Amino acid sequence: MSSHTTTQGLVERERSLSAETAARMDRRQRITQSFGILIPFVVVLAVGLIFAPNFASGSNVTNMLVNAGILAVVGYGMTLVIALRGIDLSVGSTLALAAVVAAVAVNEWGGVVGTLAGIAMACVLGVINGFVITAFRVPAFIATLSTMSVFRGAVLLFTGGAPVMIDDAPFKAFATGTVAGIPIPFIVAVVLGFAMWFLLERMRYGRHAVAAGGNPEAAVDSGIRISTMQMIAYVIAAASAGVAGVLMASQLGTVNGSLGTGLELQVIAIVVLGGTSMAGGRGNIVGTFAAAVLLAMINSGLNLLNVASFYQYVALGALLVFALSLDGVQRQAIRRAMEGKLS
Amino acid sequence: MTITNYEEREAVADARSSLGIRVVQQLSRQYLLAILIVLAFAVGFVNPYFWGGGNLENVLFSAAFVGIAACGMTLLIAGGMLDLSIAGVIAVASITAAKVLPFTSVGGAIFLGVVVGAVLGLVNGVLVAYLRIAPFIATLGSLYLFLGLAFIWTQGRVVPIRSTNFRDLATMSFGHVPLVAVVFTVLAAVTFLLLNRTYFGRTLRAFGSNERAAQLAGAHVNRTKLIAFSIAGAMSALSGVFMAGRLASAEGNMATGIEMSVIAAVVVGGTALRGGRGTVFGTMVGASLFAVLGNALNLLGVASYWQYVLTGSVLIAAIAVGARRRDAAEVKGAG
Repeated sequence: MSSHTTTQGLVERERSLSAETAARMDRRQRITQSFGILIPFVVVLAVGLIFAPNFASGSNVTNMLVNAGILAVVGYGMTLVIALRGIDLSVGSTLALAAVVAAVAVNEWGGVVGTLAGIAMACVLGVINGFVITAFRVPAFIATLSTMSVFRGAVLLFTGGAPVMIDDAPFKAFATGTVAGIPIPFIVAVVLGFAMWFLLERMRYGRHAVAAGGNPEAAVDSGIRISTMQMIAYVIAAASAGVAGVLMASQLGTVNGSLGTGLELQVIAIVVLGGTSMAGGRGNIVGTFAAAVLLAMINSGLNLLNVASFYQYVALGALLVFALSLDGVQRQAIRRAMEGKLS
Repeated sequence: MTITNYEEREAVADARSSLGIRVVQQLSRQYLLAILIVLAFAVGFVNPYFWGGGNLENVLFSAAFVGIAACGMTLLIAGGMLDLSIAGVIAVASITAAKVLPFTSVGGAIFLGVVVGAVLGLVNGVLVAYLRIAPFIATLGSLYLFLGLAFIWTQGRVVPIRSTNFRDLATMSFGHVPLVAVVFTVLAAVTFLLLNRTYFGRTLRAFGSNERAAQLAGAHVNRTKLIAFSIAGAMSALSGVFMAGRLASAEGNMATGIEMSVIAAVVVGGTALRGGRGTVFGTMVGASLFAVLGNALNLLGVASYWQYVLTGSVLIAAIAVGARRRDAAEVKGAG
């Protein structure tokens, strides 16, 4: 009897100990993660303002905001997917196919139908991704790597390799227009960002999705259907890419088959830099938004400094490695702390 | 549970049966080889030109280019890892070879290219083993890093290769069998021995199936990861150097998208992405299968864009079938 109570006391103590550790690590992670985005943000902003000519000029700021907006929109969907412990490498190809379909539909039936057609196309691609991942049980990264190739092939077959010109003037005016001096794509990004934040933080689907990403076994045991969560997440990710594709088509006025190649890397970089862990269970929409602005600033700064565009690849790769090692080192520190306390 | 049983049964059967029976058993498992042969005959039936010596040589060339890189990838996948940066490694390594060719011997250029490939592989290994980044995302990042380096180095231009000695070596054939195909066969044999007969291979397969257990058993997991990535990098580089010799030039975009074909060749060949085991013979058949498929599409005059669609679809199908057949465990490359 006495040994029983002793064990219980031990269990109680270790539980409270591990809860304390978890809380402390969580706080520490929050702090390092906000520094992870804040420090590069301030550095890049300062370097840009000091060294890059015309960095703060009206046209450059507009340009940065448009690019940041488009990146952020794709990033929201990716944030959800990564929080659910998945990945979507096909966003670049999805964006391209949505943009091409939108461009053709705009020329045929006008702006509204074109926009809807582009987003609908993207949703179909999202369903395909979700279906391959949930029904065939193909791991997300390899499934979306494959569909990246398949969708890109579809884009090139659809366009025959030639660019599609858009001749609808109002449609082209949409993404290049401003409201009170703020470019419309940026406003779209802010509105959608708020919607995604609400979905992730305040709605049942978002809470369940994040829970399923953090601990799939526990989520299943509490009655969450992971396959449904995943299917919806991949459709939302594809739909965000579709919205961005329509915005890009509108901004550029012409769509070619190689639109959005390499986009997946930029998007993953901003999501992870924004504080969403690759291990799942934590999605940070505000961070994604801030990181999108950061990346747009980096790209624009490098352009203004006349750095060859090849260096942007290297900058992006370095940024990604920085963000990921931060994430990896943190996860390891947490694991060590937990194991240390428990054993 | 089922997997262990399967392996136990296999081990018992292998021990009991004689060599002849084992060969038959091994062959009966190679349904893929049957598919390859049927496909080859079907293509040859539709277009007899397929069996022409020159065309078969082309097929062997493309099988070898993908296959040499796929040997390294087989090692990585058996260890539960993955390399998406092959196109970048090939670009940097072959540009290195092309740039130093005017100043060194042919052998020196090839050697330097391969060394550069091994170093780039080592970079991947450090990202994965020490910075703890999931292999697919780490190598996706380094793909762009390496491509960026290649473009910066060449300023986006093509580096021509004027050395006829080098070009002759890369395109050399014995009858209709290219030298690259011979190199591929030798490397496949080496990979098989590495994977199945060495301490390195055993460690690789051990942590491929259960990293925690391997670590607790005292295996040098991180060191083995570094070696595996270096070998994979060196093999990709070798494939790239031969490719450059055949193209008579090297540039940043020379192998874009090849990682898809390489992974597809390995996975279709029967090496499961979940890690723990790898079949080099399957990889050889897989590489040949994709070479025949690509060649068939060309011969039939199908738009080359279909190759993107086909490679992706075949890869999904192969993994989906694999997931259905064995009770799919968690896949390692993802995290």
